[in-house]
Amino acid sequence: MAEREHRSSTVVLLTHGSKSNQAKPKEDKRSDLISVSPSSALLTSPAMAPSVRATVLLLLLLAASSSSQAAQAAEDGIRVLSAEKRIDLTGPIVKVFLTLKVQNTATGADASHVLIAFTPAEADHLAIVKATRAEGKRKKKTYIPLPVSPADPATAAPNGARLYSISLPTPLKPTDTTTVEVFYVLTHSLEPFPAEITQSESQLVYYRDSAVLLSPYHVQEQGTYVKTPSSRVESFTRVDPTSRSGPDVKYGAYGNQLPYAYSPIILHYENNHAFAVVEELVRKVEISHWGNVQVTEHYKLKHGGAKHKGVFSRLEYQARQSISGASSFKNLLARLPPRVHSVYYRDEIGNISSSHLRSDSYKSELEIEPRYPLFGGWHCTFTIGYGMPLQDFLFESADGRRFANLTFGCPLLNTVVDNLTIKVVLPEGSKSPQAVVPFETEQHLETSYSYLDVVGRTTVVIKKKNVVGEHNVPFQVYYEFSPIFMLAEPLMLVTAVLLFFAACIVYLHTDLSIAKSQASS
Amino acid sequence: MDINVLAFLVPAGIISCFLPLSDASSFMVLYLVTAVYFSGVMVRLMLVLAPAACILSGIALSSAFDVLTRSMKFQLSKLFDDGPAISGNGSPNGSSASTVNTSSSKNEKTEKSEAAPKEKQSKKNRRKDKEVTESVSVKPKKEKRLSVLPLEASIVSTLLLIALGGFYVVHCVWAAAEAYSAPSIVLTSRSREGLHVFDDFREAYAWLSHNTDVDDKVASWWDYGYQTTAMANRTVIVDNNTWNNTHIATVGTAMSSPEKAAWEIFDSLDVKYVLVVFGGLVGYPSDDINKFLWMVRIGGGEFPHIKEPDYLRDGQYRVDAQATPTMLNCLMYKLCYYRFVETDGKGFDRVRGYEIGKKHFKLTHFEEVFTTHHWMVRIYKLKPQKNRIRGKLKKLKSSSKTSSTLAAGRKKNPWQ
Repeated sequence: MAEREHRSSTVVLLTHGSKSNQAKPKEDKRSDLISVSPSSALLTSPAMAPSVRATVLLLLLLAASSSSQAAQAAEDGIRVLSAEKRIDLTGPIVKVFLTLKVQNTATGADASHVLIAFTPAEADHLAIVKATRAEGKRKKKTYIPLPVSPADPATAAPNGARLYSISLPTPLKPTDTTTVEVFYVLTHSLEPFPAEITQSESQLVYYRDSAVLLSPYHVQEQGTYVKTPSSRVESFTRVDPTSRSGPDVKYGAYGNQLPYAYSPIILHYENNHAFAVVEELVRKVEISHWGNVQVTEHYKLKHGGAKHKGVFSRLEYQARQSISGASSFKNLLARLPPRVHSVYYRDEIGNISSSHLRSDSYKSELEIEPRYPLFGGWHCTFTIGYGMPLQDFLFESADGRRFANLTFGCPLLNTVVDNLTIKVVLPEGSKSPQAVVPFETEQHLETSYSYLDVVGRTTVVIKKKNVVGEHNVPFQVYYEFSPIFMLAEPLMLVTAVLLFFAACIVYLHTDLSIAKSQASS
Repeated sequence: MDINVLAFLVPAGIISCFLPLSDASSFMVLYLVTAVYFSGVMVRLMLVLAPAACILSGIALSSAFDVLTRSMKFQLSKLFDDGPAISGNGSPNGSSASTVNTSSSKNEKTEKSEAAPKEKQSKKNRRKDKEVTESVSVKPKKEKRLSVLPLEASIVSTLLLIALGGFYVVHCVWAAAEAYSAPSIVLTSRSREGLHVFDDFREAYAWLSHNTDVDDKVASWWDYGYQTTAMANRTVIVDNNTWNNTHIATVGTAMSSPEKAAWEIFDSLDVKYVLVVFGGLVGYPSDDINKFLWMVRIGGGEFPHIKEPDYLRDGQYRVDAQATPTMLNCLMYKLCYYRFVETDGKGFDRVRGYEIGKKHFKLTHFEEVFTTHHWMVRIYKLKPQKNRIRGKLKKLKSSSKTSSTLAAGRKKNPWQ
């Protein structure tokens, strides 16, 4: 008991927050800043059931014991002077821009990392985290990217919060300040509520987050700005001071938050953006030294928003387009490299004729329309294939190896890929392949067999989960190839034809008859 | 499906077959006559007529070219040699005697020269100058006369016959491209903006394949059975190979019955989805309303309560205001025309060419789950039975689906 009261103010309330949110979000409008109040108030709040109270007690005990250690393990002495969090909820993917102004208040020790924290739910759905720092002033401002990596698991954080560490290029001296900009993307974090809607209803989703920034440091001043796509916001948790104007909700300036402070909020708003989820994408890139790179992509597409229930009336869909099927989508845009040729779009039963290709000198855009418009919960599968000239993609590196410079990710814009597999099929005779990808992936090698193959073609298979548009960066596949192997296929064909002709000659000139012919005797 | 130029060449070929009549040529004539009779009965059997017509026209053209080239050779040799005739025996004045017939004629084993008028083949008769036949036998004893045409006439005729062949080739290529290569599953139409594609069938089958459960059964008329099995990968009730007439009659009866009776039949077959093809919005003539008479006849053949006269008005199947009440209440009518009036306000059916009879109605036992882009394929789902509050509760089939839809129907308190 005594231990708990000493450390009560530093406790994180993740589990409590989630339970109460599910119970009565609408009545949360005036819930207090729970993290600041002592834990005793938490236990006496009317929203808690007795069993929940018991679990929270346990958690408090654990958290209290661990938080003391965490406070010591975190970068001692870094303080966040001001934090501004801008959450962009306009699409199906949540994009968060965080600006942190940190100061090293420690005496003596230089700080080489800045830690940022995520809740376990956020960390599971985190697609990408990027950090930059601005250098120079005014017109000469340049942004230097900073490496972000998951922090050492030894640094414990209360309630399972995950820490990521941003490495600063130059260590931060005591009493120095610096501004770090963090950008991260969360996928599958918008929960459609109601979970099933009819054709004429609009799609409303929940977004769960915290009004105060979850951070391992003291935060002196902060504000959170949420942007929604339309001005229809059904409800949002009020954590004073909160203000809303149209589509924007501002969780106003909070001062002096302790480390790991958390104040759960829910936003319930309308989001009719196309929730296109590619459940599985298999991209096969075949490199042929005869001058062509052929890409074949197999998609399993799903509408990941609120499920469609009841009648689908084509009449309503065609006649009243503005209110009918507001959350459905009927076309997708794919961005392809320029100079693509032989683009095809088909599925298992045949060619799909509803697509348009527009090219210019620096990109091609393929607009595809699946056979039917996609409503919530509907699936479709299709294949897109195209060829590209080899000279745009194959280069020679300084150490004599060849490398193919390809784009990672999915060409469809504004989609989330749950499971991405990229197979780069290298020509026959390639040795020691190696893929260099700027982020974490699973890789292994395979052998594929294609036309005129004797030993098979080495294939580099790269897998990644939770891929978003920000992953569409170039990656390289290095391999060694001696040019003499290019002659293998032509020689094989020439030899085959030669042998056939030789066999014909031999056959025509041999006499296989058993009895001697009359003329010869 | 037409045989174009062959219509003229076939009679000429028949005549050629008789000069002389051998086993092979008599077989050809018999084959052709039989094929013509059957093609007259059912137009699709023109497929059988095609080889016979081709062979006989070939015989006719071959005979015509025979005469013409022989004439040219003879005339040219006479022109250059200016001596006695080499081949056959020409008339005393070589280029004047000619036997030209513009209509079908018998074989000419005449001794005297026919004083037939020298008829120049003019361009306006180019489609009628193929009826040139003559006897080809040159017996050394008897002086047989072979027909010889003037040189200019034969050259012009040869060129015209070659041009005729060329036109025929163009027609064949067009027919193969337009009529025989058009898959009936993807329909196209040409408009000012270019080619407009109607891919409704594949759209419906792709929707069924991805958005229904694997075990769901689809009921439709048997024409679409194989397509549904292959492309939508779903179990069907009747398909193109069903030889069990009673089974097809069951589906036909269901399509011809009112909604409740049809629901009961489909429910007994464990059907989940019903698929109908409707061409009234775009003018696609091979839709289920045009095939409806077969559903009634086959169904009525097995189940006596379906009587064809109930659906006929003045001996015709009608779906406009003159239609019989049985027709306007049957399932096929309702599923095809559900909310069709709301597309243009009047419900004008482009295939039948008139406005439909019953315009505003609701479906009680089925609900629409998908209609394709041009309304060509419409898919409906059987509504589960309502729970009866009083009395015995009927056992609900496909209970899992039922319970979820029932749960969604009740107003659920989202906060519990």
